[in-house]
Amino acid sequence: MGMDRQESVKSLFTAKSAKVDTKRGDAYYEKLYDQCRTRLDELKKLAPISNRMDFSKSIEEEGVDRRDFLKWASATTAMLMLPASFTPLVAEAAVLMNRVPVVWIELQDCAGNSEALLRSDGPQIDEIILDIISLEFHETLMAPSGHQAEKQLEEAIEHFKGKYLLFVEGSVPMGIDGHFGTIGAKGETFIDHLHRLSEDAAAIVAVGSCATFGGIPAAAPNPTDAKGVMDVVQGKPIINIPACPANPSNMVGVILHYVLTGQVPELDSLLRPKFAFGYRIHDNCERRAHFDAGEYVEEWGDEGAKNNFCLYKVGCKGPMTFNNCSIIRYNEGVNWPVGVGRGCIGCSEPDFWDKYAYERPMSNANIKAPTGGVEKTVDEFGLGLLTAAGIGIAIHAAASVAAGKKSEENA
Amino acid sequence: MKKEGYVRIERMTRSMRIIHWVNAISMIVAVITGLYIAAPYYQTFIADPAVDKYVMAWNRWGHFIVAIIFDVTSIIVFYLAFATRFLKTKPYEKDVPTEGNIKQFFEVLLNLLTLNRRKKFDSSQLDSFNSIFFTIFHLLLLWMLLTGLQLYVHGLASGISSIGAWWPWMLHLFTDWTIPVSAWLNGSSANIASIMDVRISHHSTMWYIIVWVVFHIYYQVWRTIFWQEGDISIAFGGDKYIKVDEKA
Repeated sequence: MGMDRQESVKSLFTAKSAKVDTKRGDAYYEKLYDQCRTRLDELKKLAPISNRMDFSKSIEEEGVDRRDFLKWASATTAMLMLPASFTPLVAEAAVLMNRVPVVWIELQDCAGNSEALLRSDGPQIDEIILDIISLEFHETLMAPSGHQAEKQLEEAIEHFKGKYLLFVEGSVPMGIDGHFGTIGAKGETFIDHLHRLSEDAAAIVAVGSCATFGGIPAAAPNPTDAKGVMDVVQGKPIINIPACPANPSNMVGVILHYVLTGQVPELDSLLRPKFAFGYRIHDNCERRAHFDAGEYVEEWGDEGAKNNFCLYKVGCKGPMTFNNCSIIRYNEGVNWPVGVGRGCIGCSEPDFWDKYAYERPMSNANIKAPTGGVEKTVDEFGLGLLTAAGIGIAIHAAASVAAGKKSEENA
Repeated sequence: MKKEGYVRIERMTRSMRIIHWVNAISMIVAVITGLYIAAPYYQTFIADPAVDKYVMAWNRWGHFIVAIIFDVTSIIVFYLAFATRFLKTKPYEKDVPTEGNIKQFFEVLLNLLTLNRRKKFDSSQLDSFNSIFFTIFHLLLLWMLLTGLQLYVHGLASGISSIGAWWPWMLHLFTDWTIPVSAWLNGSSANIASIMDVRISHHSTMWYIIVWVVFHIYYQVWRTIFWQEGDISIAFGGDKYIKVDEKA
């Protein structure tokens, strides 16, 4: 743990900007193209795992025509910050996604991320792709239960040793030796479960705020001592896709990147893929002009709200949040929180529940006084401090005047 | 006007006084604009078209301009204090916990607490008590400077700026460590420090500075009234007075 903290501080010191360099010259991209080509050819030779659906058939059945699919492929190529010439490769990679085994486990969570990718308004390409990935194990979605489910998991991790992507949803409760959360007939704690499954995973993808930074279970007072995957597992490549829920587009982006290149995408200091978390919400927000103009929603449903004014005063944390939802939005671009008029709660940032999600400006947020103790807002604390100083000064001044008079009398 | 039996002592040169008031004005502007940025406390005139009223933008612009003035002044002051003979007495020498300095610190504190009944120190030059007091102030300002630049670099997520990529790169290099330190200062119990910790710390440090300023002004006025050495004019005329027999 100590080492871990040191590592995270070290990475903060050496953090580069969140920008992905997209001008690396033809030589670089030609080499990358060839690498991807070779990898896809190799994947093609593999038979689709188990009896997964064929992608071309699935999209036909869902009524998506090829033109829409190619539009999606070029948009996704852009999202991954690759040149347009990679579009055919991305399309191919999407079709080959049923060759990459995925094991999806849920720990201390609400299944919200699973829900996010299942409960959209209609099956879109991102969701179809998540349908056809070779999901070897997913407690909520799979048909087997009990011993059958456990057997399925054991077989999957044995059969795809060192090859599967481990998706983790939910935080890890570390309190009372992990006994806040156990799974299966043997009562394996979530900690042991995670350690055992990550042992032979090719990489771990932590999905959602809980799995990445602890999320809501880790909010004060954090009764279960919940932690994110990166605070528990060491020595494995970890990709964090925070947000509550994580955007299915970003999940697909990460899997596609892995299928395409066999590597994890470029990550920032919080292990988030830069292609998705290199943007500040605020800088691409449709209400930004109202922020600069000083036009704010004062309370829900007022004239400002009706005119799409900025939500900063009702607590929008867009200026402090890095995520691409102001660009790609949710549910295949239908809308996103600021778009529906309720402000950003910074759900993709660490400790978001305590420090971002209070729907008031930061200065009105409850914080702990540095001494611990009662929660006050920053301004209440400051004004309290100022009042105490004022009272002290007033007493000193009054006493000085009294003492001065006395000494004059004596003189 | 020279009072009989007193000798005039120069305490602040013209340049020092200019720096003092530039700092004071910058701070007032920074607090006024900073409070607006934290929670916009006045509504703009709705009748104005949006294109004419960059109210938040102007507040942020003002905040950044005084911040830059502040930062540049700090660098100049730092240079003058440590690398030149600009200051006749080196204030940081008064911070060193030598026997004399510790004694002086408590003597000045006792003078304040006994309401000027006891005054057993040389009040002609900077004393250890005020020196420590100002050092605390400088640390608070340095913290504001670093956390402010950290908040500023969030807007340069692209890694580029109009003056080149070195600028955000340098800001990250010099201020990213304020994220975990802010979390620690805020008493955060979270697993991972968040950039919001920096913002909370930047805002609460403002309150510490305001409290500092209130005490500073009170103490200078109090000294002027009770010591009767014209201390208040140090910041205006640059001089104070000391009784001749006291000096002798």
